[in-house]
Amino acid sequence: MTTRGGGPRPPSNAAIGLGPVTTSTSTSGLGTPCGIGLRAPHVAELLVSRPAIPWVEVHAENYMGGGPAVAQLDAVRREYPISLHGVGLSLGTDTDLDARHLGRLRALVERFDPCLVSEHLSWSVAGGAYLNHLLPLPYTEETLDVVARHVARAQEALGRRLLVENPSSYLRFRHSPIPEAEFLGELSRRTGCGLLCDVNNVFVTAHNLGLDAVRYLDTLPRAAIGEIHLAGHARNDADGQVVLIDDHGSPVAVPVWALYEHALARFGVVPTLIEWDTDLPTLDVLIGEAAKATRVAAADAAHIALPHVARDHAHAL
Amino acid sequence: MPTLSEVQIAFRDALLGDDSTMVAREIARDGLAPEARLDIYRHHVLTTLTAVLEAAYPVVCRLVDRRFFAYAADRYARDEPPASPCLFEYGERFPDFLASFPACRDLVYLPDVARLEWAMHAALHAADPHAMDPAPLAAVATDDMARLVFSFDPSVTLLDSPWPVERIWRANQDDAAGAPKNSSAAVVDLAAGGAHLEIRRIDDTVTMRALAPADHALRRALWKGATIGDAVATALAVDPAFDLASALTDLLQERILIGFSVSN
Repeated sequence: MTTRGGGPRPPSNAAIGLGPVTTSTSTSGLGTPCGIGLRAPHVAELLVSRPAIPWVEVHAENYMGGGPAVAQLDAVRREYPISLHGVGLSLGTDTDLDARHLGRLRALVERFDPCLVSEHLSWSVAGGAYLNHLLPLPYTEETLDVVARHVARAQEALGRRLLVENPSSYLRFRHSPIPEAEFLGELSRRTGCGLLCDVNNVFVTAHNLGLDAVRYLDTLPRAAIGEIHLAGHARNDADGQVVLIDDHGSPVAVPVWALYEHALARFGVVPTLIEWDTDLPTLDVLIGEAAKATRVAAADAAHIALPHVARDHAHAL
Repeated sequence: MPTLSEVQIAFRDALLGDDSTMVAREIARDGLAPEARLDIYRHHVLTTLTAVLEAAYPVVCRLVDRRFFAYAADRYARDEPPASPCLFEYGERFPDFLASFPACRDLVYLPDVARLEWAMHAALHAADPHAMDPAPLAAVATDDMARLVFSFDPSVTLLDSPWPVERIWRANQDDAAGAPKNSSAAVVDLAAGGAHLEIRRIDDTVTMRALAPADHALRRALWKGATIGDAVATALAVDPAFDLASALTDLLQERILIGFSVSN
């Protein structure tokens, strides 16, 4: 399949403000500052019910073909700002970024004028094989050079500031001398990229690798945080040990809410998003979870600021 | 100390094969064994790819039953992992894999049923076509006409099979309640004749229709890149009474062509 350019050009964020938040009534009167990860089974209902959510996030790779799904996303874009969340760029692979993939991502950026563009601190391509997972990296100077080079290349190609997300990890490499949070901080310093702090991933990784989640958050550079993710995880038994699996298949866990409050206290109110991918609930349940994040943020910050998605989109590098 | 790319190649081989020895050496041994940690990643990769294939090939899955399908999908995923991060593109070669998979050798029609399912899946996700302006065709010199080649709407597949794959496909569709539509249709006579199908997306809907053998031969030859001279010869070999003029009119009216050039 080829890249697609052109197509109807949605209005800019500035032109539509923050979508239905400013135009719809909602029970809180404030709308819901927390956005949702939008998955295919919810799209039709979202377009009919037009819930008061400030923005939605989609996986970029699901919209790199043509057909009805992409056309529907144009309709979504007319109602809501869209954040593009990439899962396939493989920032951590030691070969050049896939030019075709980067081109397709750029075409999506041009078509949907996203409020945020994000990717992961991970790898998925080795020797031409694409492994559909966010695989772990050894955090070394070599890796830092590779990832920084790729982030710079992607930001240049997209004309956007990229947010880079911390992954969930189930292992660590023996030779991995740089702590992940420091690695992300240095990556941001070198490339000007922002960071997407997935609080559930911090919790999952900390549990699985025996790290201190609060110290992890305290190590991240405050000013670089451009987005927060929240999601549920599963508890699996592996050879008698509890391993947390980042399956996005349940409500956000109680201790992750507590960690979210810590993150808010440290980072201030940044755009927050609920992700749910397996055992997808009804759209109502998903929006309820987003409303809960909004309440937590409200209680924590004493004031509610709408996510600065429109402003961030000035993409200063 | 291995380089980053050495670690990644060893990691890939551990996930797609089952030998984790190389990469396990590089993984910290705290608590859970490295092999058990790698299993978490392997499980996610292979179950996701199996689910992707199952979604693209529901009729094949039904014909062979889910457990066997999962077994075949796991083997395919290990042999031919995705080459693209877009999983809607994954599985194009699964029909060829099935054709060479000894365990389904007796299901002679299965690869063609899979080709039909892939054609429908690919049609759904194909790039949106841009219409061809037919006016410049009139400017092509008469001597060049036979050397015209066309490009097609990217959602199109022209599929030929010696097996009644369309009947097999239809007999394995559920009605809205999830029950087989027509239990008498569930028995398909394999000797019922082959299929000459055109699959494409029109607006937002994937369509499948049977064509007359000579019409199909003409379109399939053009779709494969043959000149119109060669394609007409192919169609006439199938049916000497083939009506070229009406076949060409249909091609243009159906907006299935998106470009043309004169071959050297």
